[in-house]
Amino acid sequence: MRPLTDEETKAMFEKLSKYIGENIKLLVDRPDGTYCFRLHHDRVYYMSEKILKLATNFSRDKLISVGTCFGKFTKTQKFRLHITALDFLAPYAKFKVWVKPGAEQSFLYGNHVLKSGLGRITENTMQYQGVVVYSMADVPLGFGVAAKTTQECRRVDPLSIVVFHQADVGEFIRNEDTLT
Amino acid sequence: MRRLFVGGLSHAVTQKELKDRFGKFGDVVDVELRTRRDEEGVPYKTFGYINISITDADLKRCLTVLNKSKWKGGTLQIETAKESFLHRLAQERRAAAAAAADQDLQDAAADGGKQNLLDSLSKAGINNFTMKAAVPGTEVPGHKDWVVSKFGRVLPVLQLRCQRGNRARMLKYDPSKYSHNIRKLDRDGADRSTPVSQLTWQVEGGDDDISRKRRGEFPSYEPRRPKKSRPHGADTGKAPDRRRSDQNNSSDHFGSKQFSIRPTRTDALGDLDSDEEICRLMAAQDSSHHALQQEAEESPLEVVGQEYSVKSRRGGEEDEYDSADTDELFESRRNLSPLTNEKPKRRSQSGEEEVKADLSFKEDSGLEKKRVLPVLQPSDEEEEEEEEEEESAGSSSDSEYEAMFSNVTRLELSLEDLQRLAEEDSEAGGGSEGDSSLAPGPAERPLKGTSPEEILAAILEESDDDRPRKRKRRKGVSLPPLPAFQGTRSLQEADDQLRREEEEGGGDEREGRITEGERAAALSPQESSSSSEEEEEERTTEEPAAEALPPSQIFSVEAAPPPPRRKLNPEEEEELQRKANLRRLSAVQQRQREAEEQKKLIQGALVNLDAPPPKAGKRIVFNSDDDEDDEEEDQSSNIQSVEEATGSRAAANQRAAKDKLSGPQLFDSSEDEDGAEEEENRFDLRPQFEGQAGQKLMALQHRFGTDERFRMDERFLEEEEEEPDEEAKSSLAVEDEALEEEKKKSLSILQNLLGSSKHPSSKTPLKAAKFRDVSTLHYDPSKQEHAAFETKTIPTTESKAARRKKREEAQKLPEVSSDIFYEVSSDLKAVFGQTKEELPEEDENTWDQVEEEEDGGEEEEPPDHPPTTKEESSGFKFSFFEVDGETSSRETTEYKVENIQAPKVSWHQDPRFHDSSSEEEQESQSSEAKAEEPPSTVDLFFFYSGDSRLKDGPTSFCRSGQLEEQREDWEERRTMLRREVRKKHKDARRKLRAAPKS
Repeated sequence: MRPLTDEETKAMFEKLSKYIGENIKLLVDRPDGTYCFRLHHDRVYYMSEKILKLATNFSRDKLISVGTCFGKFTKTQKFRLHITALDFLAPYAKFKVWVKPGAEQSFLYGNHVLKSGLGRITENTMQYQGVVVYSMADVPLGFGVAAKTTQECRRVDPLSIVVFHQADVGEFIRNEDTLT
Repeated sequence: MRRLFVGGLSHAVTQKELKDRFGKFGDVVDVELRTRRDEEGVPYKTFGYINISITDADLKRCLTVLNKSKWKGGTLQIETAKESFLHRLAQERRAAAAAAADQDLQDAAADGGKQNLLDSLSKAGINNFTMKAAVPGTEVPGHKDWVVSKFGRVLPVLQLRCQRGNRARMLKYDPSKYSHNIRKLDRDGADRSTPVSQLTWQVEGGDDDISRKRRGEFPSYEPRRPKKSRPHGADTGKAPDRRRSDQNNSSDHFGSKQFSIRPTRTDALGDLDSDEEICRLMAAQDSSHHALQQEAEESPLEVVGQEYSVKSRRGGEEDEYDSADTDELFESRRNLSPLTNEKPKRRSQSGEEEVKADLSFKEDSGLEKKRVLPVLQPSDEEEEEEEEEEESAGSSSDSEYEAMFSNVTRLELSLEDLQRLAEEDSEAGGGSEGDSSLAPGPAERPLKGTSPEEILAAILEESDDDRPRKRKRRKGVSLPPLPAFQGTRSLQEADDQLRREEEEGGGDEREGRITEGERAAALSPQESSSSSEEEEEERTTEEPAAEALPPSQIFSVEAAPPPPRRKLNPEEEEELQRKANLRRLSAVQQRQREAEEQKKLIQGALVNLDAPPPKAGKRIVFNSDDDEDDEEEDQSSNIQSVEEATGSRAAANQRAAKDKLSGPQLFDSSEDEDGAEEEENRFDLRPQFEGQAGQKLMALQHRFGTDERFRMDERFLEEEEEEPDEEAKSSLAVEDEALEEEKKKSLSILQNLLGSSKHPSSKTPLKAAKFRDVSTLHYDPSKQEHAAFETKTIPTTESKAARRKKREEAQKLPEVSSDIFYEVSSDLKAVFGQTKEELPEEDENTWDQVEEEEDGGEEEEPPDHPPTTKEESSGFKFSFFEVDGETSSRETTEYKVENIQAPKVSWHQDPRFHDSSSEEEQESQSSEAKAEEPPSTVDLFFFYSGDSRLKDGPTSFCRSGQLEEQREDWEERRTMLRREVRKKHKDARRKLRAAPKS
């Protein structure tokens, strides 16, 4: 477990900023304590300083997970967000998409959100903007990337994709083993 | 002309050979050879096209002869081909050209005459069949049959042949004769005839929906796709409705409602057998449908602003995730809650009556308990089991009840209320008892048990056998084995329970309170089970105590806690709270007095029965669950030690301790009065246990138990405080620094990433997140930040400038005034002298003016030139005689020195000028002068009533002396003045002359 290098931090922040913009600083600079990001087995964990100290008692190979996994770095050093970060990102999300109850299940199975399933969308969403997908009951369901702008979403036919699937809470079940 | 395809040629075949070969059958016009080659340029296929003029018969013959014949190593394959593209194109063009030429010819033929006519007409000055400025009826020169008509229009004279019967006759139609019939339709002359297709006019507009609809272009009708994912329900009653809304392309909400309704219905049908439930659901469904159809008319896609806030739904136990059904249940429950509130109340009365019975028994029970308890200590298992079973049911459903009734207003029931209710509903008690024989369900079905009926229904289905097991488990964990259960002893039992809880020192106050309440309630009614009561108890946590304990104890339960709480965190105490606490305290005292009286009564009643010492019984009770106090023999000391332990323990226990305090007072009649007082003192928070360090100390002492020898003081606190802190700080500091460093680094990266984001401080987001309700804000003088609310009464009425001026004046007056006074008075002495000679009555006036002049002189003077005051004052005087602008040239001192004499010459002008000068002064420096002036002048600004100047002013205008005298005087003066002027003039000239020379 080690702190992130500058490049890694940059890559991760770039990814996070797609979803929560400048609200990242609320994650980094928290009033309720010191929180930090740590890299462990190519995964980025977000944890309180207290947990960090506790975790130092374990050897690296024995430690599976600590804090909250935000995502992992691929072999090409790209950052990939995990669904476990949802709890931290959803409150700060800038752009949101609500899916209709019918399309909810489809999304939770890992499919993209079609126009027909789009219930509500934040205005002025740009194309390829990271969005947090909510159910109509305002339960965060996962992450997505807007395939179309809000304006285009009004026009397109019902079977076209409006939000690309990135991560969903269904992964907690589907990828239970890898989702640490 | 045919085009033939010839395939299967050898590569060596030439066009000539092909031509020769086919020449036999017809006239070969054109031969085209194609060779296909592969990458290396090796030909692998050769074929050709031949345009040949051939008859059909010949073609047939050719095909039969040459097709599939071998020629030069290849098998010929001849087929008729389509015409060559180029050929065809050429032909088409030719045909088109021909057609065009044809057309041209025809046109030319048709136009020939017309053209000639036009030409000739144009020669005659006619352009486009109009002749400008020609009188209608004039013949066109050179054209016999053409006449100019109205508007200069040239029209032909028509020869109409009319055939009537068998004789034909020619009619000549001369348009000039009918020229007045012609009307010009289009005054502009431009031909604007619109084609029929464009007769409908067009609405201009944008490309948006509305304008398109205005134009009559409606979007093409699109049949709604049926939702694939939606499983089709069987409820046929709603089917048409649903289909309709389907077609309306229901909005998102529709889907959710539809989805959620069905499971609810099945649930309702399956689990909740009540008809009203189903009816309610149906109604809800209907209403939702209506709402949906309205919604469906709006746009299906909702776009929300950036600041759209997600409503948080993570409050209660019930997971409302996505399910409108739970929403509906919530709604309905909210509606029902007033109704449901009554039922438990009614039910509770069955137990309530017994409680009353208990209370009536109270006197005996105080005694009985002491005797009976030891005897029955080895309790029969069945009773205990049963009772605990009930209790477990209650306690397990604690959490769900809490969650459930979190949004229900609490019902505060007094004993009187309950009594009244009991009387009212005495007949209903039987039915409710039947209900209440069921214990509430365990926590597995929190969603269903939203109303008491539902809970009951759920419980009906529950198998009872697993509960005892559960009960036992719980018992093993938290509760020591209970003494035997006896109806009249329920009160004591409750008390014991209380005591036990204190001894256990279980942390949670609320938990303790609830369980205690339950305990009391569970024990008090014998036959009727506790379920109904518990329902009620959870809502009104105070109530169980009210049921089980005498009124004094009720109060002690609810009123005692606040004071200790206040002591606990004195830094948090607030004005309001203190007041409330005071009120409560007074109430507590009153209650205690009452309790004391009661106790005396009881004591009196029990005097003779008190003789057998209850030591053994008490001891056994405490021995059974408290190992700490083995050594203590005496009962009172036992209790004391226990209480000490509780008192010295966590502050959370204090509440229970207070309960205890009032509890034993009733029964420990052996204890004397001052003992009770001691006890009260015992529970005061000791100063050394306050705060963070105090907690440490308390923990330390806790390790030694209640041993007096190891009692901790604040002395112990000091030493241990220092060392670990410093160590920890030093070690922590390093790590914190590293983390801080890291944070800074990541923030800087973030800043780079985001561009123009400010460096955040940890405080700002916190502030932003906090919501402050201003209306609930109370001013607390003890709080530092509330100082902002205080209005500061600083006497800043005067402006700074004014103050400064005052100060300056105060400073300069002494030093400057002496000079000036001296100066001016010397000047004015002459004036005085003169005036006195002539006008003694002006004395006062001049004096007044002198004063004013003084003021003016003072104020005029800059304070930084004390040495030049003399000259300046004179200069100032001079300036009033001469032009005002001259004051700027004060530096020329010689000039002024001369001029000092001038005012002395005439007294008459002096006062007047002085007067005006002083007025001018006042005008120019208004504020200062005003400050110096007597207060009476404020009204009239310059004069006051009865001002001598007002009287004297006219006299200075009027002649005061004889005319002759004055004339003489005047002439005398005149000569003097003339001389003076001349002299001045000379001096000035001399000076002027001298100046250029020098």
